[in-house]
Amino acid sequence: MEESSSSMCNFSVLESMNEKSIGEMEDSWNAFCLATEALHGADGDLSFASDFVAHVRVLCSLGLESLIVEHFLCSMEETFEKNGASKFWKHFDAYTNPAVLEMDDADQQQELQDVLHRALEELSSDKQYQEKCLLMLVHALDMCRQIKSKEQTYSDAERNHLFSKYQLTVFSVLMASLPRHFPDVLQWYFKGRLEELSAMMATNCENENGLQENDGMDLDYKGREMDIDETHHQIANLGNNKLIRNIGVVVRDLRNLGFTSMAEDAYASAIFLLLKAKVHELAGDEFRFSVLESIKGWIQAVPLQFLHALLAYLGDSKSNESPASGQKSPLASHPSSRYYRTGTPPEGLVRWQLRLEYFAYETLQDLRIAKLFEIIVDYPDSSPAIEDLKQCLEYTGQHTKLVDSFIAALKYRLLTAGASTTDILHQYVSTIKALRTIDPAGVFLEAVGEPIREYLRGRKDTIKCIVTMLTDGAGGNPSGPGNTGDSLLEELNRDEENQENSSLDDDVNTDDKQTWINAQNWEPDPVEADPLKGGRHRRKVDILAMIVGIIGSKDQLVNEYRVMLAEKLLNKSDYDIDSEIRTLELLKIHFGESSMQKCEIMLNDLIDSKRTNTNIKATIKQQSQPVPDIGDEGLSLEDLNATIISSNFWPPIQDEPLNIPGAVDQLLSDYANKFNEIKTPRKLLWKKNLGTVKLELQFEDRTLQFSVTPLHASIISQFQDQTSWTSKDLAAAVGVPVDILNRRIYFWINKGILAESVQDSGDHKFTLVDVLVEDGRTGVNNGGCEELLARDEDGESSVASVEDQLRKEMTVYESTKIVMKKQILQKFITGMLTNFGSMALDRIHNTLKMFCIGDPPYDKSLQQLQSFLGGLVAEERLELRDGMYFLKK
Amino acid sequence: MAASASSTKVSTNSTASDFCRWHAVASWTWDAQDETCGICRMAFDGCCPDCKLPGDDCPLIWGSCNHAFHLHCILKWVNSQTPQAHCPMCRREWQFKG
Repeated sequence: MEESSSSMCNFSVLESMNEKSIGEMEDSWNAFCLATEALHGADGDLSFASDFVAHVRVLCSLGLESLIVEHFLCSMEETFEKNGASKFWKHFDAYTNPAVLEMDDADQQQELQDVLHRALEELSSDKQYQEKCLLMLVHALDMCRQIKSKEQTYSDAERNHLFSKYQLTVFSVLMASLPRHFPDVLQWYFKGRLEELSAMMATNCENENGLQENDGMDLDYKGREMDIDETHHQIANLGNNKLIRNIGVVVRDLRNLGFTSMAEDAYASAIFLLLKAKVHELAGDEFRFSVLESIKGWIQAVPLQFLHALLAYLGDSKSNESPASGQKSPLASHPSSRYYRTGTPPEGLVRWQLRLEYFAYETLQDLRIAKLFEIIVDYPDSSPAIEDLKQCLEYTGQHTKLVDSFIAALKYRLLTAGASTTDILHQYVSTIKALRTIDPAGVFLEAVGEPIREYLRGRKDTIKCIVTMLTDGAGGNPSGPGNTGDSLLEELNRDEENQENSSLDDDVNTDDKQTWINAQNWEPDPVEADPLKGGRHRRKVDILAMIVGIIGSKDQLVNEYRVMLAEKLLNKSDYDIDSEIRTLELLKIHFGESSMQKCEIMLNDLIDSKRTNTNIKATIKQQSQPVPDIGDEGLSLEDLNATIISSNFWPPIQDEPLNIPGAVDQLLSDYANKFNEIKTPRKLLWKKNLGTVKLELQFEDRTLQFSVTPLHASIISQFQDQTSWTSKDLAAAVGVPVDILNRRIYFWINKGILAESVQDSGDHKFTLVDVLVEDGRTGVNNGGCEELLARDEDGESSVASVEDQLRKEMTVYESTKIVMKKQILQKFITGMLTNFGSMALDRIHNTLKMFCIGDPPYDKSLQQLQSFLGGLVAEERLELRDGMYFLKK
Repeated sequence: MAASASSTKVSTNSTASDFCRWHAVASWTWDAQDETCGICRMAFDGCCPDCKLPGDDCPLIWGSCNHAFHLHCILKWVNSQTPQAHCPMCRREWQFKG
């Protein structure tokens, strides 16, 4: 190849050659080759230089310049490959096994550090020497040219070309022989150094914290520029730092060898690893403190300092070194970093800072998103974590990640058969609250809430739990976050007040200027927003609305509340309803007065009852009737209280016939008569199966107190005259069906008061237990007092549950459909609504009653009509808004 | 509790039960022949369309013809009928029952 290239280039020279000159040329060529070899093998010794230069001159004069260069480079490459590169790599043979690197051993670290330093130094000196040789060649060639013709000198371009060719050669030789573990070695090295540096900075910071406390505030305000200034400040001691300088040397050497990007990758990944570790260490499982600021602070304090020092070092050193060749990564330190002292932070450093912060945000965000479920579980306490997450998301914009991951967590951990409805609801509320912070528009909340709502709709007790949670404070979830005694409603109300205050401000300021400002602040909805859900201003997150959204309509919620309220009120033996009144007032605020009308009447009934009760007692006292006459069994009118209800406004109440003890019965009718006297022409209808009876059982050796239902009281009172009853007789005496009696009497059997035995006839027989059998069930001794509400035990409810009502309504609806010829009724209603626009239920009812007298006649009750209309609403023929029916358009 | 002494006389055996306190539940109703008011067609036990609370706040009133109405309903009716009001049900001259 050499031959051919030379013949190609120097064809004209060959022509003019004779035998002698060829021999001469051959000699000097051989001599040149020897000199080159000697030079390369000389190991820094330049004694052959003059010899070499002479040979070059001769060959040059023969026109073999390019041949010389070619050969010289080739031989240099060979030498470098043989000596430099292989020797260099041999240093790292010990680290072939990655396991060695993983060992966190200080000695090992030190050793590696030394090895790297030494190897790089060696290689660099080799390279430097070779560069010197190259320079020599260039000089020689230069001189030749000058002799040949005065004008033509060895141009800079050519010289650069030569050097870059050499660089490329070095790089390719090294790359070609690059052992696979070298990047790991580098990364490991940087990691070790960074950790060392970080530890050093930590102690430094501690020392300086005292000094910086005062101007800490200023730093926050003046932002990054100030931070950088501060960095400058500290660079003084950092720049002189030996550690940094060592690292700088390593990086510079690597750069000179063409490993720019590899070195950068190595220290970048080391920094990222460290940053990640730091974020994990700071954030971890701690949600009660905000960590973002401290992470940012750490970024400023450690990696940025390091980079700054490094870039500064490289920048300084670069000014007197030849510029590193090889391709630059976009993040490679820019030469401009040299000018950082002029005040503007070096571009490279800013880029690094952005990159590091983004990475920190992303890491923290991932960490928080993964733990979002736990964070939300202890939401009010974990709000700093939420705040952090919000900032991270603003930066990274990976909201979808949050939604996806959180939905997955919900499905896996919350929406399972094992979770109680109350817990799910609590989590739902916390989720709303937490996500409201992150995303005030509620777009992502919509997405996250949907699976929960969907799931809750499938549970039967959802409405009940919602009402309980709304009205009863912590809602039977003692393990929940401890705002006990404070119902969700109260909380909502507080929020509401705050919101109202702020919205009031808005109204006041709504002049042109404000409008303009508002318009300027407009931001588009996030891309994930569902355009069907209306504009963002309308999508203000309303927790109550979202909860009602689970059920579908507030009417159902109100209805359920009414049933629960009725249950609660009927079981009250005093007239204390303060908390209920408060709750009702709150509910009125949210659901409107009209929908809470019935509940209000119910509460009013209690208040009236109390008044009437006192009234009646007062009249008795006035008449001063001889009490003992009535008090046959120790009960006088004094001991009788009554809750008098307006039954039209209460939910349907289960009315079971019951024979109560004669004396009590007598009392009740006395009471009713008194009522009639006071409130003519109103009269009382007793619901004898309802109420609460406090009674005391006296045995020879003990006295037991119970608080039971009237039925239980009647049962036990039967045993006063007769200690043993068959179930059939007893049922007849008490006036209830046998199966109900058998069910209810277990209360007394369980208490150890009665004993059950089965007779031959198959009839059950109950006997009074005279002597207390110590079976631990009663757990009460002489004079002991046991207070138990029997109702709770058998789960009987005096009020028909909403489900029962619904079932009834549905059957009514079905039957109405058949009997009434639905179309006719529907036609009537449609016609009415067309004329009047909208009508309330009562009005429809009354109008139908008045005008619909043909065939078939309208003979339905208000409730039946309501369920019929409900059916029409469900079929989407009508619409129900605020108690008014409309035609669906 | 008050008459625990008297309870011994009832019991043939050593056991006695005392009702210390009986809290009963009743519903009230207007002692009228009809269920609903002839004017507003609302239940007597409910209240007239203008009222919110039933019972004392929205009482019934009987005319001399023995027809009952919500007080508010019949007053409205009487006031709108000049000079002489008639019972909406039987068209007799309306007079409040004393």
